[in-house]
Amino acid sequence: MPLLHSFLRAIDRASPAPVAHAHCDIPCGIYDPHHAQLAAHTVIRMVDLLGQLEHPGTDATLPQKKEFHSKIARYTATKEQHAEVYKSEVRILWADYFKPEHLQQFPQLHDLVWKALKAGSKARQEVNLQASEDMLKHANEIAEIFWKTKGVPTIKAKAPYPTGRETVYPSLG
Amino acid sequence: MSPAVGPGDYVLVNRWAYRSHAPEVGDLVVLRNPEREGQFLCKRIAGVTDSGAYVVLGDNTAASRDSRQFGPVPRGLIVGKVWRSARAGPRGPARPESPP
Repeated sequence: MPLLHSFLRAIDRASPAPVAHAHCDIPCGIYDPHHAQLAAHTVIRMVDLLGQLEHPGTDATLPQKKEFHSKIARYTATKEQHAEVYKSEVRILWADYFKPEHLQQFPQLHDLVWKALKAGSKARQEVNLQASEDMLKHANEIAEIFWKTKGVPTIKAKAPYPTGRETVYPSLG
Repeated sequence: MSPAVGPGDYVLVNRWAYRSHAPEVGDLVVLRNPEREGQFLCKRIAGVTDSGAYVVLGDNTAASRDSRQFGPVPRGLIVGKVWRSARAGPRGPARPESPP
């Protein structure tokens, strides 16, 4: 009915009518737990790199000291950023993707999301390998549920990154 | 509310529709958002509770915020019944994503 629409638009321009919303926000429908998993890998890697750093010693030259401190700063900044990315991604899945019917089917989601966010916070605050491992563990568990809600089978495989930890991937083939 | 109404459609609302009778299941209605003052929503009546409140749902349940989140709404929030709608243009394919 383009004619009616044009007519109403003309009236709307002269005397704007209120808008009625049919959705809560843009329902783009594009969600993936991979962002959270990837961010967890990055945090693990940064904790590893921080652990491998060797102190240049008291008789180190200024450039050596600068390099050491620069590396600490860079690894720490990246760890901070990616832990926050992780928390944001988990929150998006929680708030926007998972629906009440998913919660009924997977009641453990409440606890899982809670633990994931707590692990993310701990990994930010500390240089803590266990906390960063927990981030990945919980992201994998969330990913398993996520793909189940879509009817997509999953596989566990060693991630092809230096972290090499077991990761849940969708089996889309 | 896809596919009944889409973005940019005009909906003509009969504010007097429910003077003579109560809203019925299946009616497409415009209501005041119980969660945000001053905002209107367009939803479909899905049921009536024992206490006389209305359960409203979006047609595209995967992407709708409705009574599943904010609960049944009192009749006073229902502004009126959608009488006619005018499409903004040819409708594209339905939203590709719909989690079960």
